[in-house]
Amino acid sequence: MAEVHVIGQIIGASGFSESSLFCKWGIHTGAAWKLLSGVREGQTQVDTPQIGDMAYWSHPIDLHFATKGLQGWPRLHFQVWSQDSFGRCQLAGYGFCHVPSSPGTHQLACPTWRPLGSWREQLARAFVGGGPQLLHGDTIYSGADRYRLHTAAGGTVHLEIGLLLRNFDRYGVEC
Amino acid sequence: MAETVWSTDTGEAVYRSRDPVRNLRLRVHLQRITSSNFLHYQPAAELGKDLIDLATFRPQPTASGHRPEEDEEEEIVIGWQEKLFSQFEVDLYQNETACQSPLDYQYRQEILKLENSGGKKNRRIFTYTDSDRYTNLEEHCQRMTTAASEVPSFLVERMANVRRRRQDRRGMEGGILKSRIVTWEPSEEFVRNNHVINTPLQTMHIMADLGPYKKLGYKKYEHVLCTLKVDSNGVITVKPDFTGLKGPYRIETEGEKQELWKYTIDNVSPHAQPEEEERERRVFKDLYGRHKEYLSSLVGTDFEMTVPGALRLFVNGEVVSAQGYEYDNLYVHFFVELPTAHWSSPAFQQLSGVTQTCTTKSLAMDKVAHFSYPFTFEAFFLHEDESSDALPEWPVLYCEVLSLDFWQRYRVEGYGAVVLPATPGSHTLTVSTWRPVELGTVAELRRFFIGGSLELEDLSYVRIPGSFKGERLSRFGLRTETTGTVTFRLHCLQQSRAFMESSSLQKRMRSVLDRLEGFSQQSSIHNVLEAFRRARRRMQEARESLPQDLVSPSGTLVS
Repeated sequence: MAEVHVIGQIIGASGFSESSLFCKWGIHTGAAWKLLSGVREGQTQVDTPQIGDMAYWSHPIDLHFATKGLQGWPRLHFQVWSQDSFGRCQLAGYGFCHVPSSPGTHQLACPTWRPLGSWREQLARAFVGGGPQLLHGDTIYSGADRYRLHTAAGGTVHLEIGLLLRNFDRYGVEC
Repeated sequence: MAETVWSTDTGEAVYRSRDPVRNLRLRVHLQRITSSNFLHYQPAAELGKDLIDLATFRPQPTASGHRPEEDEEEEIVIGWQEKLFSQFEVDLYQNETACQSPLDYQYRQEILKLENSGGKKNRRIFTYTDSDRYTNLEEHCQRMTTAASEVPSFLVERMANVRRRRQDRRGMEGGILKSRIVTWEPSEEFVRNNHVINTPLQTMHIMADLGPYKKLGYKKYEHVLCTLKVDSNGVITVKPDFTGLKGPYRIETEGEKQELWKYTIDNVSPHAQPEEEERERRVFKDLYGRHKEYLSSLVGTDFEMTVPGALRLFVNGEVVSAQGYEYDNLYVHFFVELPTAHWSSPAFQQLSGVTQTCTTKSLAMDKVAHFSYPFTFEAFFLHEDESSDALPEWPVLYCEVLSLDFWQRYRVEGYGAVVLPATPGSHTLTVSTWRPVELGTVAELRRFFIGGSLELEDLSYVRIPGSFKGERLSRFGLRTETTGTVTFRLHCLQQSRAFMESSSLQKRMRSVLDRLEGFSQQSSIHNVLEAFRRARRRMQEARESLPQDLVSPSGTLVS
């Protein structure tokens, strides 16, 4: 059994055309992994940048995993939403990144995308908001069936993740 | 004594302790040296000599002017928050009209009891505890600068209120957080608690009454020897630090009769008994052992291993983005090619992928498409024959970028390839791509209007074609055009039994192949053993399947 501590924060997001962003995040692991402590999903507050387009959330991530194998290394996935002045929420982007495998601090930038929809939907989105969303959340962090999608590039989610590994060297794993 | 070096560093020192603070014991030693105006005119080198003389002459009553020796020197052991009364307090509280607060009355009782039992044991050294008025006053009136009048700032006033006796409020903090995140109408008390640091702090002052002989008990002769602060987390702040091996601290009294005092502070807290320490260690060991058992009961102790002699390459990868391409709506088709020799991968493994189609957005000069496409694969490297000295080939990642437009016309935007990194860790690879072009405007027009263009028949042509057999690879005649780049992020892990035993020094120095070397022998032994086991099992099966009558009479033959 080897252990992994994932300690860090979702710093914020930049490059989105929408303001007032918030982020739903989660972590997905394989069957060999077990969460010992920490919460595996969460949601940030809504942040409205005053200057520039970078929204800061500084949302903490603190997880402790134990694992029996390398298969199913943890994957972080994000849904960035924007909230308008009427309280309506609209999807701004889906993002994903693997939790790095080497111990230490990592600065990660996760680019996001969102489903595009037909031209009619695009037009509607530009004027009244809304727009298509993924039917199954797991498409964010799995590659299967991605080719069916037509997407648009969104902004970038910035993360700072510190990783502590334990006992991996005992099983001959170099990371 | 001859080497008396004064310690002039009176800065504070911070200690941490897990043990209860009530075990803290200090030994304070205070001694009068001499009237310092005498010392002032001596060269520094002479100072030590004088001390010798003084020490020698001290028994003589004339040397220090008819003073009993006990007035010159005092040593006392003080516990945490132990109250030692000064002469001033003794005089004050004996007068009942001076008592106001319950604490004053309590002190009066204690003093009277002390008087009855034969006077207090301390003379010059005394203490102010956390509950004393002095501690409050000191907090309030402490001056930091030489300014003639220093007005306490807002923060000082807040701190004076907040610093002490707040243990009772600690419980509330968790409750507030759960129910409401933001307090819209902060109350006065809320502000007081939250706008300044909020660790409860207990203070104690060790003081000395440095008045002239027989004239003890005047406020103006009181000097602070040491200030101790302890917070609830077991952080002990001592100002100045314990003397230890340093020289003693000095105090020069003001006034016309300047006198020089030296004092030392030592930590004499009782040490835990060896058996107690042993028991504590055992308890901790037991606790950690149980926690470990609990963990292994949750997860299990095993871990998937590779076969001996094999290297397992495990890659968590992402297709991050593609930038700088001519057309919009990009998608990336990629695959990993394992070298034919030595490499294998599990059958269920998917070594290729196609991302979604993504419209680009402008970022600085480039048009960027975001994919965030995950892929994971593992491959095994088995290096069996040590005789072949060739460097191992490493898997290669090929990618092809295509664009698809509204009219379902697709165009090849670029081809690229990169060798996977051979070192474990996180890598961001930027693959530059190119596409073949045909000379002439007709081809370009065709590409623009009806899409489609030259394509490679075999994607492995990007590097060394699979069908290539020869000495020189020539691509002369192929015209290409540089297009954009694709960004991959790869987190590589390597696993091998060889890594389990090599020390960390060897890890740095040797290449993967070197480290695997010794284990190919081991793997060949493993193979022999495996073959032997298979043969034996087959023999057993054969024996069981034999007709029973054939076996039993000729039992001797079989065995």
